[in-house]
This record gives sequence, structure tokens and C-alpha cells, in this order.
Amino acid sequence: MEEDEVVDGDFYLLAKSYFDCREYRRAAHVLQDQTGKKATFLRCYALYLAGEKRKEEEMIELEGPLGKSDAVNREVASLERELSILRKNGIIDPFGLYLYGLVLIEKGNQNLARTVLMESVNSYPWNWSAWSELQSLCTTIEILNSLTLSNHWMKEFFLASAYQELRMHNESLTKYEHLQNTFSFSNYIRAQIAKAQYCLREFEQVEVIFEELLRNDPYRVEDVDMYSNVLYAKECFSALSYLAHRVFMTDKYRPESCCIIGNYYSLKGQHEKSVLYFRRALKLNKNYLSAWTLMGHEYVEMKNTPAAIDAYRRAVDINPRDYRAWYGLGQAYEMMGMPFYALHYFKKSVFLQSNDSRLWIAMAQCYETDQLHMLEEAIKCYRRAASCNDREAIALHQLAKLHAELGRSEEAALYYKKDLERMEAEEREGPNMVEALLFLAQHCREQKRFEEAEVYCTRLLDYTGPEKETAKSMLRGMRTAESSFPLMDIEHFHP
Amino acid sequence: MAAASAFAITPHKVSVCVLLQMYALPTQATPPFSSVSQHNRLGLYILSLTKSYDDILEPKLEDLISQLREIGGSLGPWLIDHLTSRVSSLSSPDDLFTFFSEMRGILGGSDSVVIEDNQVILDPNSILGMFLRRCVLAFNVLSFEGVCHLLTNIGIYCKEVLSNCMPYELHRLDGSSNDLESLSECENMDLENFVFGKVNEEIEERKEATERVSFHLHATQAICGLVEDVEVVTDPRSKHHDKGTEDCPHVHHPGTESQDVDPYGEVFLRTNWQVQGYLMEQADAIEKHGGSVSFNTFELILRQIKKLAPELHRVHYLHYLNSLYHDDYFAAVENLHCYFDYSAGIEGFDFVPPSGSNNSARYEIALLCLGMMHFYFGHPKQALLVLTEAVRISQVQSNDSCLAYTLAAICNLSSEIGSSITAGILGTSYSPETSMGSSVSVAQQLFVLLKESLKRAESLKLKRLVASNHLAMAKFDLMHVHVQRPLLSFGPKASMRLKTCPVNVCKELRLCSHLISEFASETSTVATDGAFSTAWLKNLTKPMGSLVLTQENESGENFHALQFCAQSSSIPRSVLQILGSSYLLRASAWETYGSAPLARINALVYATCFTDSSSSSDTALVHAKLIQHLAAFQGYKEAFSALKVAEERFLSVSRSVLLVLKLQLLHERALHRGHLKLAQQVCDELGVLASSVMGVDMELKREASLRHARTLLAAKQFSEAAAVAHSLFCMCYKFNMQVENATILLLLAEIHKKSGNAVLGLPYALASLSFCQSFNLDLLKASATLTLAELWLSLGSNHAKRALTLIHGALPMILGHGGLELRARARIAESKCYLSDPSYSVFEDSEVVLDPLRQASDELQVLEYHELAAEGFYLMAIIFDKLGKLEEREEAAASFKKHVMALENPQDEDPLLNLL
Repeated sequence: MEEDEVVDGDFYLLAKSYFDCREYRRAAHVLQDQTGKKATFLRCYALYLAGEKRKEEEMIELEGPLGKSDAVNREVASLERELSILRKNGIIDPFGLYLYGLVLIEKGNQNLARTVLMESVNSYPWNWSAWSELQSLCTTIEILNSLTLSNHWMKEFFLASAYQELRMHNESLTKYEHLQNTFSFSNYIRAQIAKAQYCLREFEQVEVIFEELLRNDPYRVEDVDMYSNVLYAKECFSALSYLAHRVFMTDKYRPESCCIIGNYYSLKGQHEKSVLYFRRALKLNKNYLSAWTLMGHEYVEMKNTPAAIDAYRRAVDINPRDYRAWYGLGQAYEMMGMPFYALHYFKKSVFLQSNDSRLWIAMAQCYETDQLHMLEEAIKCYRRAASCNDREAIALHQLAKLHAELGRSEEAALYYKKDLERMEAEEREGPNMVEALLFLAQHCREQKRFEEAEVYCTRLLDYTGPEKETAKSMLRGMRTAESSFPLMDIEHFHP
Repeated sequence: MAAASAFAITPHKVSVCVLLQMYALPTQATPPFSSVSQHNRLGLYILSLTKSYDDILEPKLEDLISQLREIGGSLGPWLIDHLTSRVSSLSSPDDLFTFFSEMRGILGGSDSVVIEDNQVILDPNSILGMFLRRCVLAFNVLSFEGVCHLLTNIGIYCKEVLSNCMPYELHRLDGSSNDLESLSECENMDLENFVFGKVNEEIEERKEATERVSFHLHATQAICGLVEDVEVVTDPRSKHHDKGTEDCPHVHHPGTESQDVDPYGEVFLRTNWQVQGYLMEQADAIEKHGGSVSFNTFELILRQIKKLAPELHRVHYLHYLNSLYHDDYFAAVENLHCYFDYSAGIEGFDFVPPSGSNNSARYEIALLCLGMMHFYFGHPKQALLVLTEAVRISQVQSNDSCLAYTLAAICNLSSEIGSSITAGILGTSYSPETSMGSSVSVAQQLFVLLKESLKRAESLKLKRLVASNHLAMAKFDLMHVHVQRPLLSFGPKASMRLKTCPVNVCKELRLCSHLISEFASETSTVATDGAFSTAWLKNLTKPMGSLVLTQENESGENFHALQFCAQSSSIPRSVLQILGSSYLLRASAWETYGSAPLARINALVYATCFTDSSSSSDTALVHAKLIQHLAAFQGYKEAFSALKVAEERFLSVSRSVLLVLKLQLLHERALHRGHLKLAQQVCDELGVLASSVMGVDMELKREASLRHARTLLAAKQFSEAAAVAHSLFCMCYKFNMQVENATILLLLAEIHKKSGNAVLGLPYALASLSFCQSFNLDLLKASATLTLAELWLSLGSNHAKRALTLIHGALPMILGHGGLELRARARIAESKCYLSDPSYSVFEDSEVVLDPLRQASDELQVLEYHELAAEGFYLMAIIFDKLGKLEEREEAAASFKKHVMALENPQDEDPLLNLL
């Protein structure tokens, strides 16, 4: 490296200055005859960026009415040729390899790209760009496991991030927590932990982490959209508006900022404005997944179902593993009264996120609709929902109700009892409680378990409403029965 | 929809403009057109170029040149020369501007243009004029970058041809390669700030104000600064790069960049309208040919379109169709949902009423499509769920036409699967339309549905739907028994009379045929208009090419020939298809009612007139019918050779129809030859073809178990055969297949006859006879009469007279319409009656018995029906013996022996099996 600098110092510096001024072709031209590794890399990289810039311009120039279109980086072919020769001759540095990897990805040669990037990170592990390109090539856990990476702490960062992308949130979380022991002040790690927690739906923790993060790094825009989602879910109006304001002052033309503002308006119920900001986010980054989904939600709120469906569908086409968008599609169709059609989408989302009770409940409700009335299927879905931590406790209650409706009082009693226990544990009251108690009381009386029935009836007496009266009369009836039954028995045995 | 305005100026369109100029200014041409016809031909050619959508992509210059060579005759080389030199002389943006302002000169209506002698003034509202105006407009809204791109593309467009054709074609353009170098450099020159074309814009604006915009051109959007250019680069598939650039590959080299990326040159989509038309044509082709269209090639094309035009959602629909007909369930579901998510059912359906609010989504169509898909894949339950949902949504959205179509689909579904599955669901959820009690049978529900659907279609004036509803009605009348007073069923069951109504069938079929007269008066739609020009272009390259070249001097003739060629598609294909199905149904109706000649005639009409417009599965069905006819009347040899031809023709398409037919024929033949093991094997194979779901493929299941019973009968396992026939009867009764029961009753009679219980057989035969009578199954009735006679005969010789009368009564029908087997059976039975009649003496009139026997044995030999043939020869031998004709007796006896031996040793070499 040092030799290089001695030989082409001036040229290199000139080129670097041009490069920093974003005059890429000029920089490349200056380095035309330089042979040092560093100079070669800078020249190639400058050319690559020049091609990228032109590509972006062409994309806008060529955008046809039928959508469009793949403008290509026209430098890629010649770069590939040159870099492959360099690699063959063994005169390429890790950065050159990284660039070669980029070019190969653009060309669609994924396998070679993976190998080249692996070489790059193994010989120079501190190039995070190379790592993240490599990560984009690991679409399944099998591919990830097949990589041969030399041990280095950068590898841990890579793995943690790759796990997160592969939706193995718990693994990722352990890795990050482990890394945090070493890099205890890293904002990056903190943000990633928050991301993992968010995916695990631990909103409280996410909020805590982000509060701290924003104290340390107040002008951060990255990942803050996730924080805004949490604030949205918790309906913290003022915190969200504060965040939106801060981000807006920092950099209003970031897709994240637009998204946060969109969230704020959505929370305020001003859906038109919200859509406007999501649109802006999408203009800045067409493949911004969560913006499509959130925009879909807004359209649903505005009762513009076709637009919502379109937005969700675009999200799904960007990432077919986005269960939220599938769920949104299902909801949109259900809203239009097409439960059977909606089922297709709910099935998709449930397939991707099989431990989310909300999805199962949505599906069950589809089956339960008057039009379909497929109660057996609904019961199956509710059972799944109940088994995976149903926060709102809808599933148990519905299960009990459906069983009662189908005349299976044993099962119904079982689920009512479970529901009751849960309500007691969570100290919740409400109409569900009354319903459960009433059913259990009646059921026990029919089963001739009068003592139990009496307990339920007495508990019912604490509530107001018609049920109280029913309970009273039941109690009265049971007492008279109790007093008369033994008599009858005696009469039988002593004729 | 942004997609509607996809008219981008491309090199090909520039070429067409050049040709137009040549056409309009003939005096400028150094060798002017030698005749009017030559001039006209060029005009027609340009017309077809502007309208054709043979492919999604525009032709390359090469293709254009070869077409020109064919069309131009002696003028061809000059045309080509002029075209290439004109196009390749466009070397700077300014050239393009002058070119397009020149183009405006050949349009009529602008005063500034000096009119030359002989000039053809294009009417601005003619098709060519419109095309020209669109080109000029598209050019004028281009931004400077767009012009640069156009220039680069023209360079690439020409370059290929120049490098390919240089040696023999383009002697004039030696210096052109230099031009091209500078041409492509142009694009990279920094000319962003160049102010240009102010004057042109002004003129254009003035024109815009005056013109009546009758085509899809969203001018506002175009002016909004959207660069209208659909030019796209394909993936590089092979490399061919300049040798000159190898020495310094890393240096940016403007001349080579485009080549590096795209060896094939740029690829341009045609206009949106043309691409839509292409997709529609392809959809038709897929629906017609089913699985025979190659899955992967078409998928590749679709992928390309999708890349070129991601907002053209109809591509997803084509994806769906493609995977549907290749039985890829998951891909089909996925693509169907995807299509309707994007398009919301608004795009591409011609029955969406234009008056209604166009923005409202029509997801009910999605449901309809999904339902039909489930139906296609054999999921009747899902199909019904989806279709009932479609009914509901159509009602909510008050989309009447969709409702009518959905009802028709439900009718179709329940008539196809016609089973208990539908009963529950229809009864409960379809209450808003028809509030019927659950006691009404499926068939009656279907009848009510059909009526309702027909009424709706008629009130909405959906002609095609009306016709196909009439067809469905006819089918229903054909297959279902009318219970008289169906909805008021008081009194005991016995009082209800079952019967079918052939008159109704005929009436419905005739009503269906009215469709064609309705369409004869209708003007052709946009789609057919486009198809018209494509057909023209196709004809041009095939037979017309030679015509044009040879009849160069006779001016009038070519023109007429052209018109003749183009007239082929004046009636929409869908109409022809429905008409065709009516003939198909006629054929099956006559088959059921027992008129062989009429069935055959109708099948032949279909096969000759409607095969082009119908789906290949229907065509295969007609072939199957004809082959069956052949087998019954001319023996198996003919049938098998015909079957082989048919199988080759419908290689991958709808194998099932032909497969079933093949198995049927094999079974029949094996039974006749006494090859029972083979018969059983074939019969089992037939049974396997049917789906295992209850109530699906009933026809096939019935066929399989009927044949099973017949095999058992042939193996003399009478009680097993009777058991199978009984259970079959029960099944048919359960699924309301009354018409089929006549056959089964007859089979039961046959079984009792063979087992020697003639007395037991009689009631079955009589029952079958009365069924046949009330269902108008004439041929089957004749055959039942024959069985009845045989039964009487086997009761003793004192019944011979009665049997003979019965046979004589049935003979006209049998001889007129029956197949070989039936005729032979009747003749043998007739002579047996004579022989057992005590009042008949052989010596008086031997020919009365000998003649039928001879004919019967001839026919049976064709069929290789050994058992019956042996019987015939046996009878003949006895008669000859009595008459003392020893020589003839020996001959008959030898034949008898031959057949008996063949029957006992069926494992002989079978030459026919090699045919298959």
C-alpha cells in the first residue's frame, strides 16, 4: 500500500478529490494509467458509481407509462471483465474483491459473488459493506450455514444481522446481547436489539431502548420509524408528535421521517394527510416495505379498499414473506364481505407467522361469518389461537361459545372455565365474565353438581342486570330441589 | 389507468413514417410507382403495419426489409434502399426535428404546405393520418433526453442491419458506420441546456386544439412531463463486442457501451392497445388449445412483457390461464389473486358496462373466476362456496351481468356434478333468489336456477349468455327426467309420471342458433378489427406473397384476393364456439334418442365447420363420437386406425376423452373375442380414471361399473354380475340419472336371460321398455324389444309367434339405426324364431332363415364376435344338414369350429393391438 502512495501519490490524491466531489468519471480518467492496487480500486469504484448515477438518471428519463423498466449500469460488463482478470492473476485486494462481488450480484451470478465476498471478508473483516452484501445473498439458513468464515468478532455481527433477516429473532437477540457485553456503548447494537424485540412484539422494552438511544444519539433517523410504530401502537400522541417534529428538523427527505409523520397523522385520524406522507416515503424509496403496508392500512381506514389492496399487494410483491401485508389483504377482502376469498390471504399470513394469535382469530372469524358458517374450521383456528398466547383472550371465549352453539356442553364448560380462570388471573371483569358464570351455573345444575352451580350463582349475584335475577331464581330452585330430592329418595327406599 | 396512453415513438415507428412519406409523395421517388396497384399495395402494407399485433415486440429493421422485399416486387430494392438510407441519415437531434416537421407536411389540412402533383393527401382522421399525428405528437412531447435516447436507438436499430446486409444490400451507404459512431456519441454529449423546438411546440399546440381526439391519448398526462418512452434493454444473452475495444477495456468508450449491454439491439413494446390485443389473442389460444401450448415458452414471453411493462396487469391473468391449463393449481391460485388484487376486475372485461362508475372495483368477477377455477380443478365444494359468495357480492354491487354469468356458472357446476353435495349448500345460502323448501330435489333446483339465469340473461341482452343458457337448458332437458307437476307434489308417488321432452330439446337448440343471425347484423368490435389486420399480415407472408409476385401486372385481381383473405373472421369466435356446441349437443341428443345417421351428420357438421373456432377438447369429443360410430358400423379395424389418427392430432390435448374411448373400444372388442382377462383389466383401468370424490365424474363411474357387470356376465358369473348391476341401479337412482337406468334394467334382463331365468328377466325387460318409451330412447327400445323377444323364445316354442311379431316390430328401427352387433342379433333371433316355430318347415322356404343368418354371420365376422358368430354358423350347419346340402354344411361347420376355437383360445396374436 505504501509503495502505491509513493508512486501515484499526486494522481491518486487528485482522483480522490474528484471522487469526493462526486465527479466520478473525471476521477477514473485521472487514474487511467495507474497500476497500484489502491488506484485500481478507486478507479473501478468510481466507474461503478458513475454507472450507478447514470442508471438512476435513466430510470427517471425512461419511465414509461406502463411503469418500467430496468435501466442497467452500463459499466458493469467491462468492470466484470477487468476484475475477473485481476482476480485470476492474484493482484486484487479485499476492496477490489468487494467491488467484484457487487458487480457479480448485479450480473446475477450469485454463487460466484458469494465466494468472492467471502474471500473479501476473510482477508479484511472490517468492511461492513462487504458483509452486508454477503448477507443479502444468504436467503436461507442452509446457505448461511454453508459459508466458511474465519473467526472474527465481525462474524458475530454478521450472523446476528443475518439471523434477524431470516426471522430467527431469538437467536439474533442472544447474539446481540452477547456482543453488547463487549461493545457496551454501541448504539448500533442497541438499535438492533430493539428491532429484534419489536419483532417479538415486546413493545415496552423497545420503547425503553429507544428512549435511551435517542438520548445518546438525538439526531438519529435510522430505525426510528420502528419506534414510531411502537408509539403508535401505544397511542402516545405527544411522544409521537415530538419524535416526528425532531426527525423532520433533522432530515425531512428521508423515507423514515415521512413514515413517522404518516404514522402521526394516522394516529390523529387524518388519513388523507397520512397517505400523502407515506406516498412521499415511497417516492424516496420505492421498495420501502413498511410504507406500502402502512399506506394500505390508511386506505382501509378511508374505506378505499381497492387502493388498499393495491398497496398491500405491492408490499407482498416486494417481500412475499411479509405476513402483515397478507393479513391486510385478507382484512380488506373480509371488509367487502368476501370471507371465502379473504381466507386465501389469511392462510398465507398464518403460514408465515404461525404463532400469532391475531392471525388465527381473524381466520376463525372468517369461517364463523354467516355466509360461510363453517364452525368446525373456526373451532380449529380458535384452538390454535388459544394455544399461542392470545393477548386479548378472544379465542377461549369464542371457543366456549361455539361449542355451546354446537350443543357440546362439556367442551363449552371446559373452555368457559378456562376463560374464567384467565379473567380471574388478569383481574378482568365484563360481560364475558357474566356469560361464563351463567353458562357454568346452568351447566352444573344440569349435571346435578349443585354445589358448584351454587358457587357460580352466588358469584353472579355480584353483578347487576337480568343475569342476577336468573341466578337468584336458580338458587331458589336448587334449594327447593335439594330439600325435596332426599325426601323422594327416602320415599323410594321406604315404601 | 396510465397504461392507456402508451404510445411511444420508436425506431420502428420512424421507419413506418418514412414509408408513409414515400407513399404520400410518390413524385419524389426517382422510379415512381409503375401502377396504381403497386401504390395501393404499399398503402395497404403500411396500414397493416400500423395495426398489427403479431407479437408484443416491434419488428426489427431486418424483418421490415424482408417483408418489403416480398411486397414491393420490382420496386422492393428501391424501397429498401430508400428506407435504410433515410433512417440511417438521421444523425443528430436536429435531423429528427426536421424529419418530423416534414412529416407534418404530408398531412392534409394545414395551409402552409405547398401541394405537389400526385401527392396523396392524408386525411388527418384516417387511420394512417391518425397514426402519423400520434407519432408527431409523441415526438413533440419528448424531452431532450428522450430525443437523445430515440437517436441512440435508431442507431442501434440500423447498425445491426447494416452489419448484416452490407455485402449485398447497401452499396450506397459505405460511409454509414462513421455516421453511427458519431450518432451514438450524441447521446452522451452534454446538451441538457439546449433550448429547442419552441416553434414546433407552438404548431403542435395549435393542431391539438383543432383535432378531434378519438383515440386513447391522455394529452394532459403526456404533457405533464412524463417521458413517453417504453424503450427497454433486454438482458444480454450472448456477447458480441468490438474487437477494437479489447486493448483498453476499462476506459469508458461511448461507441461501445450499448453493444456491451445489448447484443440484440433494443427491444420495443408495441403500443399498449396492440399489446393488449396480443394478450387477448394469446388468451384465446390458450383456452382453445388447452395444455398443448408450451408452458415454458409462453411463460418466458410473459416474463418479458412483465419486465417491459410492470404496470400491465393483464399479464398476471395470462399467467393464470397458462398455469390453469397446465394443471398447476398453486401457480394458478397465486396468479389469479395477484391479477385481481392489482386490477380490481376493471381491466380487460368487455362486459363491464361503460356507463356505470368505472372506478368502482369489481371483485365479484374475481370470485366468478376463482369459482370456475375450482370447478376446473374438480373442487365442487369450494367452487360452490366461491360462486355463492359471487352471487352475494354481485347483488350487493348490483352488477347484474356478473350475477347472470355467475348463475350460469352455478348451473353448469350443478349439472356437471349434479349430486348431493350441492343440495345442502344451495338450499341454505341461495335463499334470496329462490326460496325453495329443502324437499325439492337437486334437479328441480337446477331447473329453477336455469330458468332464472336465462331470464336474467335475456333481460340484460347478453346474447352469448342467452345462447349458452339455451344450450344448458337443452342439455338439462336431454339428461333429466321431467316429473310432471314438479313443484306441487301432493298425492302418492305413483301418480307422478316421468318423461323426457325431445321437443323442448329441439326448441332450446333452435333458440340457441338465433345467436348467429343476431351477430350477423352487428358491427365488428375493436378486437376483431385488430385480428383482421393480423390475419392480413399473416396471409401476406404465406400464400399471398407468391400471388403478389406473380400477378404483378394485373391490377384488379390482387386486391380482390386480399379482401377475400381478410373476410375470414367476421363472426366472433365465441359465437362460433357456442354454435358449434349446439351441434355437438344435437349429435349427443340424437345419439341418446337413437338416430345414428342424424347423430353422425351433426358430428360431421361440427367437425367440418367449427373445429377452427372451438376448443380442442370439444373437437376431440366429436372425433370420439365419430370413431364410436365407425366402430359400431364398420368394425374395430377401421375404428382403431381412425383412433390412431385422432390421437396423433390431439397429442397432448384432452387425452382423457380419447383415452376413455380407446378403453371402451378395447373392452368391447375383448368381450367379443372372449378375451375376458383383458376385458377386466381394461375395465379396471377405466374405473381408475374417475375421480374418487363422491358425485364427481358420475358418467365415467357409471360406464366403468356397467362394463364391469358385462364382463362378469360374459364370464358367466351371473349372480356377481346381477349384484353389480343392482348397485349401479341404486347409484343412478340416487343421483337422479333416470335415463341411464333404462340401460341398466336391460342389462339385468340380459343377465337373467343368459342365466336361464327367462321368467325373472321378463319384468326387467318390460320395465326397461317402459322407461325407453317415456324417455324417447328409440334405439334402446328396439333393443329392449329384441331382448324381450329372446326371453319369450327361451320360454318355449309356443311363444315363438309372439317373439317373431315383437322382432318384426322392432326390425325397421334396428336395421335403420342399429350397429352391426344389434342387427346381427336381431337376425339370428328372427331365424331362431322361425326354426322353433312348429308351423314352419325348412324345406318350404329355407331362404327365410338362411338369408338373415348369412348376413348376420358376415357382420359378426367383421366384429370378431366369436360367440354369436359360432351360434349363427351352428344354425346354418343344422339347416344345411336338414336340407341335405353336405358341402355347405361342412363349410358352415368349419367356420363354427374356427370361431369356437378362437373363443376358447383368446391368447392368439392380435394384429390390431399393434396398431395402438
